[in-house]
Amino acid sequence: MNEELNKENESSPKIWAIGGGKGGAGKSVVSTIMAFWLARMGNRTILVDVDLGGANLHTLLGIKSPARTLNDFITRRFESLEDICIETEEKNLRLISGASDVLSLANPHFSQKIKLITHLSRLDADYVVLDLGAGTSFNVLDFFLVAHKKIVVLTPEPTSIQNAYIFVRNAVYRKLSRLSSKNPSLQTLVKIAMDPKNVLKIRTIKELIQMIEESDENNIVEMLKKEIGDVRLSVITNMVKNDKEENAGRIVQIVAEKYLTISSADLGSVSYDKHVQTMVSDMVPLINLNQSSHAFGNVYEITNKLTKD
Amino acid sequence: MSDWIHKQHSVVNRIIDGSITIDSIEEFENLIKAFPNDPQLHRVFADRLVKEKSLNAADEYKTSAKLFIETGRPLQAVASKIFEWRIAKPSREDGLAFHEALNNCNPLDAPIQKFFTNLAYEEMVSLLTKLIPSSCPANTTVKKFGDEERELCFVVSGVLKETLHHRLENGEKVQKTLQTNLVEGDIFGEIYPLTDERLSPSDIKSITQAELLKISKINLLSLCTEHSNLDLLIRNLYKSRSESDKKEFSKTVRRTTRHQLPMQVNLKIFQSETGKTPLNLSGFTDDISLGGTCVILGAKYQTGHLDNLTGLNVKMQMSLPIESIKLNILGNIVWSKEISVEGKKAAIIGIQFKEMNDIDRELLKGYCCGSEAEQNLIWSLWNSLMEK
Repeated sequence: MNEELNKENESSPKIWAIGGGKGGAGKSVVSTIMAFWLARMGNRTILVDVDLGGANLHTLLGIKSPARTLNDFITRRFESLEDICIETEEKNLRLISGASDVLSLANPHFSQKIKLITHLSRLDADYVVLDLGAGTSFNVLDFFLVAHKKIVVLTPEPTSIQNAYIFVRNAVYRKLSRLSSKNPSLQTLVKIAMDPKNVLKIRTIKELIQMIEESDENNIVEMLKKEIGDVRLSVITNMVKNDKEENAGRIVQIVAEKYLTISSADLGSVSYDKHVQTMVSDMVPLINLNQSSHAFGNVYEITNKLTKD
Repeated sequence: MSDWIHKQHSVVNRIIDGSITIDSIEEFENLIKAFPNDPQLHRVFADRLVKEKSLNAADEYKTSAKLFIETGRPLQAVASKIFEWRIAKPSREDGLAFHEALNNCNPLDAPIQKFFTNLAYEEMVSLLTKLIPSSCPANTTVKKFGDEERELCFVVSGVLKETLHHRLENGEKVQKTLQTNLVEGDIFGEIYPLTDERLSPSDIKSITQAELLKISKINLLSLCTEHSNLDLLIRNLYKSRSESDKKEFSKTVRRTTRHQLPMQVNLKIFQSETGKTPLNLSGFTDDISLGGTCVILGAKYQTGHLDNLTGLNVKMQMSLPIESIKLNILGNIVWSKEISVEGKKAAIIGIQFKEMNDIDRELLKGYCCGSEAEQNLIWSLWNSLMEK
């Protein structure tokens, strides 16, 4: 997989991926408002609906039936992602609509995925915002891992917190899998660690690293720490109704730091806004939302913070 | 996490929690054939038959009550029996048979479950005639702080949140002091001693859809006057609850980990006719637990022949994020349904897992829930940072 996307290139767009595991956490809404603010800040921005199994981002931008979708790119009707970008009502903001053919594209071939990832990095934009949706695990995790900013959105509910954590955990294990396929020594160690009956009782990444440290494989430890450390998670708690609920993101952050050894940042929270829910259900474009809305303001602050990071 | 959670069948859970709707009685009957020993499924089916005004509902309630007793849940059995007897008036023999079954039941550890197994026949009959089933949707306020305590409630199913408050001398409510989750087998209603007048020290709100059995204080007082042993049992019930509260300052809800992150899956479905080539299909899991999964079938599957799949054995291969690891699970297709996704027809099948080796089971557990340590930290942080 194109791990090199992680190394920011001057001419390539900055890729932000928004995931979280559970449907209904508001990933698409946060992605859309975030892309809107990036565009308003004067950045050429492309919002991409990577929910290959159930694309619907276009509806949040008031586009009923997108003329071109990712399907057209994957099936080679168009050779470049630029060709399938759709202008939106907002200056500087374009959309790549997802393919809504749930049965044929939910699990694209590996080569299709590689092609898509490569072309994303070639887009003529300052920022590319990927709305991952709930998607299928490998696709979601792979798109998440190649992004420069890996953003997890969750709501202050036990199931959402748990799903967000498991999503991050699986992403880290996916990364580990990629690393170990390139490094035979590591592969052996990972295989031992992943055997649930292993006598060392290794169950977490932290325990794996400890085991490798004890086995004097210093080169591997350093490489592993660096690669896993590069995951750098950003967490947003959405639909927050009171101060306590703002802590939901902290839970994922603390558990991920402790057991997955990844660094993370709590980007803050987005207030629950009934107008957002109404607009989504009434299919009113989110960019028409009153900018004095708390949710809009919260996402502005988060976006601003991320651009300066 | 309690093991019973993992024994639940994914498909059945989805029906019970309402996330999958069963359209026809035939579909229900097929499910009952697939899960003949699930008391909750029989109970849901019986409720559905009542809506259809079918007299068969009584039989389903009866089966449900029998299975609840077999699984050590007499409270749930009593609830089913009350519904059964509302439809089909019981004879004395029926009453005696049920009483014997209750007495012989090996109940789960909850005091309320033991309470029902210790009732004398006359006490049981008197109590059952006064217990009123009540269902409340999620997020319903069941009782408010300061309300007069007028009834004792048994939680048959669902989860409710009880928030206890302190009362100042002037009667004013002050900040919340303790929150507990009331789950299956818990009781609430501060009515004991039955002659005292009390006001509710707590707010109680349903978190999920919940079913209660209620008895008014007046009726309970009347029954206890008539049956002194019942008074003793009720007193013991309150006593054991109070002791339990002291031991367990903050209860933890038995939380099910329904995993929502789909996983790619390849299926080899063995057709019933001997010698026929197995059907190779692919799809992705919509929901997976250690008991089973729902799979949305991929484009290769032509919809319209789903009935032919039900009952067939299937070999599943699933890839975990660690690429080198593939899980191999043998299962049985117990349920199938056509669904519509954005106007297109797709097929979803329910698979009950039958065989997987210990290593695969552990890996699946890790994939769905994380390790025990990770889970414990999540819930510990939830309790300390999020509970109000």
